[in-house]
Amino acid sequence: MKVDKNDLMTQTPTNSSAITTALSEEGLGQQPWWVEQWMELINSYRFKKRLERAWTYAREGNVTSIRFEGRRVHARVQGTDEDPYKVKLWLDVLNDEDWGYVLEALTQKARWSAQLLAGIMPSDIERAFAASGRRLFPFKLQEVRSECSCPDKANPCKHISAIYFLMGDRFSEDPFVLFQLRGRTRVKLLADLAEQRRAVLTAIAEAESNSKNEESPIIEELPIPPHPAVIEPSLWWKYDASLNSDLVVITPAMEGDTGLHAAGDLPLAEEPRFPEARQLFLNHLQKQGQALAQQAIIQAMAAGD
Amino acid sequence: MSLLHATWLPAIRTPTSSGRPALLVWADTWRVATPAGPGDTPAIHPFTLKPEDLRTWLSDKDLLPDGIIDATACLTLPSRAVKPRIKAKSSNSAPLDEDRSSSSWSGLPLQAGEPIPKTCEWWPWQVQGLAIEPGAATTWLSKLPLSGHHPDLGEELRWWSHLQRWALSLIARERWLPQVELSKGEGYPHRARWVPLLNREDDRRRLEELAAKLPLAATCALPWREPTGRRSNRMTRLRPEAMRAANPVASCRPRSGRLRVANLLEDLVDAQLRKGFKPNTEGLDPLLTAWQEALGSETGILTISDEEAERLTTASNHWREGVAGNVAPARTCLELFTPADGEDLWELRFALQAEADPSLKVAASTAWAAGSQVLQLGEIRVENPSEVLLEGMGRALTVFQPIERGLDSATPESMQLTPAEAFVLVRTAATQLRDVGVGVELPPSLSGGLASRLGLAIKAELSETSRGFTLGESLDWQWELMIGGVTLTLRELERLASKRSPLIRHKGAWIELRPNDLKNAERFCSANPDISLDDALRLTATEGDTLMRLPVHQFESGPRLQGVLEQYHQQKAPDPLPAPEGFRGQLRPYQERGLGWLAFLHRFDQGACLADDMGLGKTIQLLAFLQNLKAEHELKRPVLLIAPTSVLTNWKREALSFTPELKVQEHYGPKRPSTSITLQESLKEIDLVLTSYGLIQRDIDLLETIDWQGVVIDEAQAIKNPSAKQSQATRDIARPSKSNRFRIALTGTPVENRVSELWALMNFLNPRVLGEEDFFRQRYRLPIERYGDISSLKDLKARVSPFILRRLKTDKAIISDLPEKVELSEWVGLSKEQQVLYRKTVEETLDAIARSPRGQRHGKVLGLLTRLKQVCNHPALALKEKEVDQGFIVRSEKLQRLEEILEEVIEAGDRALLFTQFAEWGHLLQAYLQQRWHFDVPFLHGSTSKTERQAMVDRFQEDPRGPQLFLLSLKAGGVGLNLTRASHVFHIDRWWNPAVENQATDRAYRIGQSKRVMVHKFITSGSVEEKIDRMIIEKSRLAEDIIGSGEDWLGGLGVNQLRELVALDESGQE
Repeated sequence: MKVDKNDLMTQTPTNSSAITTALSEEGLGQQPWWVEQWMELINSYRFKKRLERAWTYAREGNVTSIRFEGRRVHARVQGTDEDPYKVKLWLDVLNDEDWGYVLEALTQKARWSAQLLAGIMPSDIERAFAASGRRLFPFKLQEVRSECSCPDKANPCKHISAIYFLMGDRFSEDPFVLFQLRGRTRVKLLADLAEQRRAVLTAIAEAESNSKNEESPIIEELPIPPHPAVIEPSLWWKYDASLNSDLVVITPAMEGDTGLHAAGDLPLAEEPRFPEARQLFLNHLQKQGQALAQQAIIQAMAAGD
Repeated sequence: MSLLHATWLPAIRTPTSSGRPALLVWADTWRVATPAGPGDTPAIHPFTLKPEDLRTWLSDKDLLPDGIIDATACLTLPSRAVKPRIKAKSSNSAPLDEDRSSSSWSGLPLQAGEPIPKTCEWWPWQVQGLAIEPGAATTWLSKLPLSGHHPDLGEELRWWSHLQRWALSLIARERWLPQVELSKGEGYPHRARWVPLLNREDDRRRLEELAAKLPLAATCALPWREPTGRRSNRMTRLRPEAMRAANPVASCRPRSGRLRVANLLEDLVDAQLRKGFKPNTEGLDPLLTAWQEALGSETGILTISDEEAERLTTASNHWREGVAGNVAPARTCLELFTPADGEDLWELRFALQAEADPSLKVAASTAWAAGSQVLQLGEIRVENPSEVLLEGMGRALTVFQPIERGLDSATPESMQLTPAEAFVLVRTAATQLRDVGVGVELPPSLSGGLASRLGLAIKAELSETSRGFTLGESLDWQWELMIGGVTLTLRELERLASKRSPLIRHKGAWIELRPNDLKNAERFCSANPDISLDDALRLTATEGDTLMRLPVHQFESGPRLQGVLEQYHQQKAPDPLPAPEGFRGQLRPYQERGLGWLAFLHRFDQGACLADDMGLGKTIQLLAFLQNLKAEHELKRPVLLIAPTSVLTNWKREALSFTPELKVQEHYGPKRPSTSITLQESLKEIDLVLTSYGLIQRDIDLLETIDWQGVVIDEAQAIKNPSAKQSQATRDIARPSKSNRFRIALTGTPVENRVSELWALMNFLNPRVLGEEDFFRQRYRLPIERYGDISSLKDLKARVSPFILRRLKTDKAIISDLPEKVELSEWVGLSKEQQVLYRKTVEETLDAIARSPRGQRHGKVLGLLTRLKQVCNHPALALKEKEVDQGFIVRSEKLQRLEEILEEVIEAGDRALLFTQFAEWGHLLQAYLQQRWHFDVPFLHGSTSKTERQAMVDRFQEDPRGPQLFLLSLKAGGVGLNLTRASHVFHIDRWWNPAVENQATDRAYRIGQSKRVMVHKFITSGSVEEKIDRMIIEKSRLAEDIIGSGEDWLGGLGVNQLRELVALDESGQE
C-alpha cells in the first residue's frame, strides 16, 4: 500500500523483455510487500522454463478474465481449444476455531486493527496468524490448489502458471482478497475484530470495577436534539458568513502536491497486452488536471466582474 | 419584489437524462394567496414566479443560465398554518366540517425575511422553476456575487457561490481522484465520477464551516412519496400524520449537514471536471478506455460488465483510501505534553476529537470504554468510537512512524516520545498528520502560532512633558524579547541558541528556536530604535504587527498613553465636551461625546468623519465644534463648508439659531465675489463660508487664494468618485501646501461599508492612511468587493475606524436619550424656475384678490396659497404637467433634497411614508421615484378602490421584500391605516393644521412600532411655507389641536397681512 509516491508519476514503463516489471530489480522496491511476497513465491518455484513460457502466454493476453468469487479464484484462459479453459485456484480455508485464534491475536495489538481499518495490510500480519499455527500467505506454491480444464496432465499447467503471474497484481487492487481466500471478507473480518475487541474491553472493565469497585465512565445517551432549523426556521434562508480568506485568491497546487501524486500508482492489475496503459492513463490525467486547474484559476479570477 | 433561490435536486428525470442532479432556480414574490394544503400531491407553492416570468426576470438581471429546462420540484419549506375561510353552511354539516379541519392542514409557505409565526410546520410544496444541468450550473454559480447584499438574491445564493468557489479551489489545487460508483441496483448504470479529496486540514475545516452554516433552502428538495396510511376521506385531504410519516421532513433531518455538503461539493467538482476533461485513449486497454471515456462524458455512464465494474470500484476505492478517509463526525487526536521536571521523555496522549468543534475532546480510554455504544461529544454523536480512533491511528502511522511503538497494546491511551521524536512532531509531522485527518494539539508555547515565535514585549508611556497631542512624538519605552509567553534577554537567547537543541526549556516553558531568531534579535538590539505615538497606534490596532521584523506579543501602555489609545481606537466612548459658551441650545449626551471626539482628533491634527445616522444632529455637533473653537479664541481664519446646494439653506438656518455668534457668509449665486481681492475683503470677520460642490469646482482657483482654517464637507458621499472634478477640487482645497487646515467630513451613509468610497474619503481626511489609489485597489478594494475577503476588510476597518464615528439611532444603548419620535425640519430653497414662477403668481393673484368682492376673497386667498405650495413642490405641479420630463429633478430644490434623504433611507433598508396633499403631485412623484430606483412605489389616494387599498397596506406591512416607499395622499391615507413598518414619515408639503399632520404621522408612530420614527417636514425657506410654519409653531404652543378647521383661518387675513405672508423673502434666496 505505502508506495514511494514521487517516482510513480515520472516512471517510464519498462519495455524490457524480462519476465515482468514486478520481477525486474528496480521494480521490486516499489511493489507493496504482499505482491513482492507473492512474486518471491513464484520465483522460488523450480521449473523456471515453464514459468517463462507461462509469462509470455499471459502477456499475449490469453487470460481473458480473473474473478475472485467467495473463496476461490475463477479464471478463463484462451488456449488452443475454441472455448477458453477454466482455471480454479484456492487456498486452504481457516476454520472458525483457527479464525478465533487469529482474531484474538489481532486484538492484542491496536496497530493491526488500526492499519486494517485504514486500508493498510500490516507487514507482520503473519505473526497474528502464527497464533493459530496457520498462515495467511501460502508458504510454498504447492499450497495454492488449482484445477484446469485443459487436457495437460501437469499441474501447474501453463494456464495455471499464467494466472499465478497475474495474481500478484490483482492482490494490489485489494489486499484484503487474501483474507477472503482464507475464509473471511474484509467487512466480516472488521466486524469480527470489533466484536472481539468489545469482548476484551468488557472483560477488562469488569476486572477493573471488581478490583477497584469503581464505576466505569458513564456514557450518556442524550436524546437527539431537534435540528436547529426547527427551532429557528429562518435558518432555511439565512447565510451571513463571509468568504473564507483562503478562498479569496485561488492558487494552483505546489509542485508535486496534487491528489494524483498523493494517491500514487493506480492499484489496478496490468492488462498484459497493454503494459503501458496504466502509466499512460495516469499521465493523461495529470496533464489534463493541470489544464483544468488553469481553467479554474482563470474562472475564479473573473468572478465578481 | 421577487427573490431568487437555488435548490439542489439530487436527481431529476427528463426525456434525455434520467436521475442526474440539477440546480433548481426559482423565485418567490409576495402576493395575496389562498391558503392551501397537500392533497394527493403537495400543494402548489402560491408565491413562485411562473417559468416564463422567471426567464424574463432573469434575463433582465443578466442572470439567465444556459442549459435550462422548466421543472417542478417538491421542496420542504417552513409554513404557517392559516385556516381557510369557512363558507357558511347549514347547521347539520357542521360536525363534518369540524372533523375535516382537525384532520387536514392548510396554510402558506413562509418567505425569506417574513416574521416567523409562533408555530411553524414543515410541509412540502410544489415549486416551479428552471433546472440547470450540473455543468452549466457551475458556470452560473461562478458568476454570482461572493459578497455583499443583493436585494434580488436570496442569501443562500451566496452560500452556493462560496461552495462553488471552494470547488474551483479544489480543482485549481488538483485535489481530486477519479472513482467508479457501482450501480445502485437493477436498471441503474455504473458511473465514472470525479471525487474531491478532503483530507487537508483547511478543506476539512471548510466543510465543517459550510455545513454548519448551510441554509436549508439549498437542499430542501425531497422526492414526494405517496403516503400509505389511511385516508380520512377518499375525496378529502390526507391525514397530516400519514403524510408526515411518508415524507419525513425537518424533524427527521440528518444530524449534520456534513455529508450533504460533501455530496453537493462532489457534484459540483464532478460536473466541472467532466465538462473540461478530454479523454485520450491511445494505448489504453479496454477497461481504462471505458473509464476514461466515461470520465469525459456528460452522464458518466460506464458500459462495462458488472464484474469489471466491481473490480474497478474496489481498485479505485483502495487507491483513494490511501489519501483520504471517509467523512466522519470525529477524528483521532494526538496531544503532546512537555516532560515533567527532570524528565527527558515527552508524553503523547491519544484522544477523540469532534471535527466540527476541536475543543470537544475525550481521552482514548473513554472511547475504548464506549464499546458498541454511541459516544456523545457535546451534541455530536459518534458511532463506533473505537473504530474511528483506530482508523485515525492507522493513518497517523503512515506519516509518523514513532507511533507504532505506542500501538503495541490492545487499548493504548498514551505513549512516550524521545526529544528528537517530539521535535519532528512539532516541526513537520504535526502538519502532515493534520493533512491525513488526524488532529494534533501541541503545548501552547510550541503551537506554531505567532506567540511561539521570537518577538517583543513592550512597555510605553507618554513622556512627562507630553500631552499626547502629536503623532510624531517619541514615547518613553522599554522592551524585552519574548517567546512562547516568556521573556528573555539577548544573553539568555545566545546561551540557549548555543545549545544546538531545537526544543529548549526556558523559565518553565518549552520553546522552539528558529535559525534566524538570534540574528533578528541582535539586529534589533544594536538598532535600539525609538518609537512614536504613531507606532503605538499602529501596534495596538491590529494583532501581529511587527517592529523591525519582530512580532509584538505584548504592548503595555502607561495610564496616560492608555487613555489616548483607547480614545483613538474608540474602545471607549469619547470623553464628552459640554456645549461651548455662546451655543444656543442643548446638546444631548451623545452629541457632547461627538463634540468631544471632533475636538480630540482636531488636537491630533487628524481629519474626522462624523457619520451619525440621519436625524442625530450632525449639523448641530459641527456647529458646536466651530463655536467651541470660537469660544477658545482658536477660530482665527474662516472655515469653508461645502455642501450640496439643497442643504445650504438648512445650514444657514441652523447656524443662525444655534450659533448666532458665528459669522456666516454664503459663497453662492451670481452676486458672489469674483476676484481674490473682493473675496478677501468680504471675508473679514467671517467665520464660516458656505458653498456648493458645483461652485468649489468652478471657483477653485479663487477659493484657493484664501487661507482657510479648515474645510468641512457635508454629504461627503458627493466626493465618492475620486476622479470627478468636484472631488479633486475638494481634495486640493483640503490639502494646502503652506498651512494646516483641519478636515471634517459629514455623512449619514454607512461609509465604513462602502469600500470603493472609502479611499476618496480618507484621501480627503488623512491621505497617508490608505496610501495611493492603485495600492488601495489591489490591497483592499478588489479582495473585499469581489470576494468579500474578511481579513482584508478587518484590516481596512482597523485602519480607518479611528477617523470615523458612526452612531445609529437604533443603538438604544448608546442613544438612550433620543425620543421615540424625532421631528426634523428640512429647510430647502427654490430653484430659479420656482422663484420666477412664485413671484409671478404672487403679483398676479394679489392684485386680483384686492379687486375682488369680500365674499369671493376667501376662496381666492386659499387658491393662491394652494398654488404657491404647488410651486414650492415643483413647477410641473403648478403648471399642470402630466409627464416627468428630462431634468425633472433640477427644477425643484425640494425634490432634490427629498431624493437625497430617501437615498439614505433606502440604503439603510428602512421604509418610509410620503404624504402629500396633491394627488397630481403624488402621481408625478410616483412616476419619478419609480424611474429613479427601478422599484414599485405604491400610491394610495382618493380614487384607490377599497380592495386595492387593503392590498397596498397588506403588502407594505407583510411582504418581506415589499416596497420601501409608500406614497399617500394626506386625505385618503391620513387616517385609519396601520403602517408601522415605516420608520420615516415625510410631509412633503404642509397642511396648516398640526392635528392633521400628527394624525398622518401616527400611521407609523403607533402601537406596534418598534423603531424610532423620524418625521421629516419640508419647509421652503423664505416662502409662505416658512411663514406659516412660524405662525403654527407660535399658535400651536397655545393649543396644538384647537385649529380644527383646516386652512380656513387663513382665508380671513387682510390683504396687507396676506402680502406679507406670501411675498418671497429675498434674503432666503440666492
